[in-house]
Amino acid sequence: MTGPTAAAAAVRSFRVADLALPGVRVLPAVDPRIAGPSALRLPIEFSEPRVVRLPLLDVRPAVSSFSFAPAVAPAALAPPRATPGRRAPGEPPPPAEPPAPRRTRITPPRDVVKLSERFFFLLQPHLETILETSRLEFPRQPFPFQFDGMAFLLPRHGAVLADEMGLGKSMQAISSLRLLIRSGQAKRVLVVCPKGLVSNWARELADWAPELVVAVIEGEQARRRWQWSLTDVPVKLANYEAVVRDRELVAELGLEFDLVVLDEAQRIKNRSSQTSHAIRDLKRSRSWALTGTPVENSAEDLVSLFEFVAPGHLNDRMSPRALGAAAADHVLRRTKDKVLTDMPPRLNRDERIELSPEQRETYRRAEEEGVLRLSALGNEATIQNVFELVLRLKQICNFDTATGESAKLDCLEAELEEIHASGRKSLVFSQWVQTLGRLKDRLERFGALEYHGGMSTAARDEAIRKFKHDKKHGVLLLSYGAGAVGLNLQFSQYVFLFDRWWNPAIEDQAINRAHRIGAVGAVTVTRYLSVDTIEERIDEVLRSKRDLSDTILSQAEAPASSGLTADEIFSLFKLTPPRRAAA
Amino acid sequence: MVRAHASSDLQPTPMEQPSSSSAYGFLTVVDSPTHGLFGGYLLVDAAGRPLEFHCTAPVKVSRAQQILYGATLQGHLHGQQIGAALLAEASVEPLVVLTDLDSMLAVRPHTDLPVALVTRADAAAGFELGTAKVTAAGADPAAETVLRERLEPLAAVVDLHEPFDRIRAAIEEAQRH
Repeated sequence: MTGPTAAAAAVRSFRVADLALPGVRVLPAVDPRIAGPSALRLPIEFSEPRVVRLPLLDVRPAVSSFSFAPAVAPAALAPPRATPGRRAPGEPPPPAEPPAPRRTRITPPRDVVKLSERFFFLLQPHLETILETSRLEFPRQPFPFQFDGMAFLLPRHGAVLADEMGLGKSMQAISSLRLLIRSGQAKRVLVVCPKGLVSNWARELADWAPELVVAVIEGEQARRRWQWSLTDVPVKLANYEAVVRDRELVAELGLEFDLVVLDEAQRIKNRSSQTSHAIRDLKRSRSWALTGTPVENSAEDLVSLFEFVAPGHLNDRMSPRALGAAAADHVLRRTKDKVLTDMPPRLNRDERIELSPEQRETYRRAEEEGVLRLSALGNEATIQNVFELVLRLKQICNFDTATGESAKLDCLEAELEEIHASGRKSLVFSQWVQTLGRLKDRLERFGALEYHGGMSTAARDEAIRKFKHDKKHGVLLLSYGAGAVGLNLQFSQYVFLFDRWWNPAIEDQAINRAHRIGAVGAVTVTRYLSVDTIEERIDEVLRSKRDLSDTILSQAEAPASSGLTADEIFSLFKLTPPRRAAA
Repeated sequence: MVRAHASSDLQPTPMEQPSSSSAYGFLTVVDSPTHGLFGGYLLVDAAGRPLEFHCTAPVKVSRAQQILYGATLQGHLHGQQIGAALLAEASVEPLVVLTDLDSMLAVRPHTDLPVALVTRADAAAGFELGTAKVTAAGADPAAETVLRERLEPLAAVVDLHEPFDRIRAAIEEAQRH
């Protein structure tokens, strides 16, 4: 033992006289001036003191150790620049290149509980460093919020990327799956998207992950069997219908995926649908859902989505606030106004159209007759009856069924004249394919092209190609069903909603085909509303409802639904829904 | 049907042990007011990715020890006790051991590895690498040339201060765990 403790250990008993302190006279135990046998004798020695031991710091602390295998292949681990060679004497060293200023950390999700696994994420360098040293090139520099999106997806086995449309959800998912594949953490990835978006996804994969081989699941059954069973292809791309159709085949082949990515994941919001069952049956270790509208109509949408993302994590009995809290760590949602402060603005115009006198007369007659019929039905009236009347009136708002007149089209035509002359491009959305056909006839001189579900995939791709690259095609006519999702048409600066959809979320999706990243200027959105018609009444109802999606995602109080209820549909005609005993 | 994820999913299957010639060590101490001193030692590859992490149990210093050791306390604790214990546990031998604590340079007598101090670019001593200045333990000019050559590839991709932030984040996490 060394140091102060050793000195302390050497302490022993001593006499006062031994102290021999300078300037202090020590008296003997008995004063000689006091005589006699009764003199007191005082002890001159102290009792032995207690030894105090002070622990020294010579015991090394216990050490816990964690080791990590390299996350990427050794070749990719090499620094991107060659190690500088030997310099001539006196030659100044080349300055080290300053690292990129943006820094994104990958933080472990809440459901990773083992300390070693949490350390694995916490001890990784910034995402930008990982990308740089993995030699992954991008067609363009991702936005900072897109790096955040990748850092969110990468460590998660169950994730919902719920960014507003136009913020690049597919690019973030592709870049993340690319990193997982590069690091060896994923070898078999399945991307599932709506049929109309397969070629779009194939293009995006080729742009953002050019080195990845992608197999598109399509064609006859024998061909699909062969495509499903390919083992040396890291990414398979299938549409929802193919997954449903090949459900048994996938099971028979015993396919398991390291990652399944669902695009437009609201497709599985109906839990009892075949699509939802087939998707949930896929054997997988990671489940990522991409959707701009995680809550389209009701809170149940989110619960259904979680049956894929994290089964059992949410349930229907939870309050909106509880749902929001339980889902929080799995859901990432950003809106354009929050993350793209420098994005061109979106200008909304509600154009109120007066029907032509003939159109008005047709409309009035149809409404009166329809309401009379509904009244006559009394308690037998169904929501379907009302719905049919709504659709009929909406169609008359578009075109007079008797004369073919259309006040909306007159207005649209006039507006397109000016836009087309300036060389700008426009998107026009309608609920009906038939309406698109009639618009095409009248807008031929603007090179109008159609894009809807009645066309083959090849024909739709060709329409997009022409609209993108050929100046003479200034107008693209789209149906909400086929054109509202997944298309990147940010070179268009005008969007017209010729008629209105039932759900504002779908309209937003349509608008965001143009108002998205890469938009070259302000996007003007014109929504046509026929004055004093069913269109105005629907608009009022939708406006009065609060947005449930925002409510859940912000954990605030929730309204019942953002769509129209049966009561609301009946009230469009000032009718009371029948109350049946069984209902 | 979701397959439960095992920890091995997060950590790729073991690969060939990386060559010691491409590893770098980052050694520091975090002083927690409630728990005491935690030592952390992170070994990274040339791309800044973690290879190994070692951390100590907390070391508490009494008032008496502070008095007895006086000015020598930090060097003794950081270098001789914590630093030496951590270096002894590593299975990868790094090219350089970097620390952001002056007192940790006291580990030098306990290892054959080159040890260097990383400071901010505005520090008086050392040579510049990116946003950092690096000073060799013992201020040996010959060691400086070797250090510079060894550290340049890493400094090209990682800010030399940054791995210390990771160690601090990991130790914070360990305290919460």
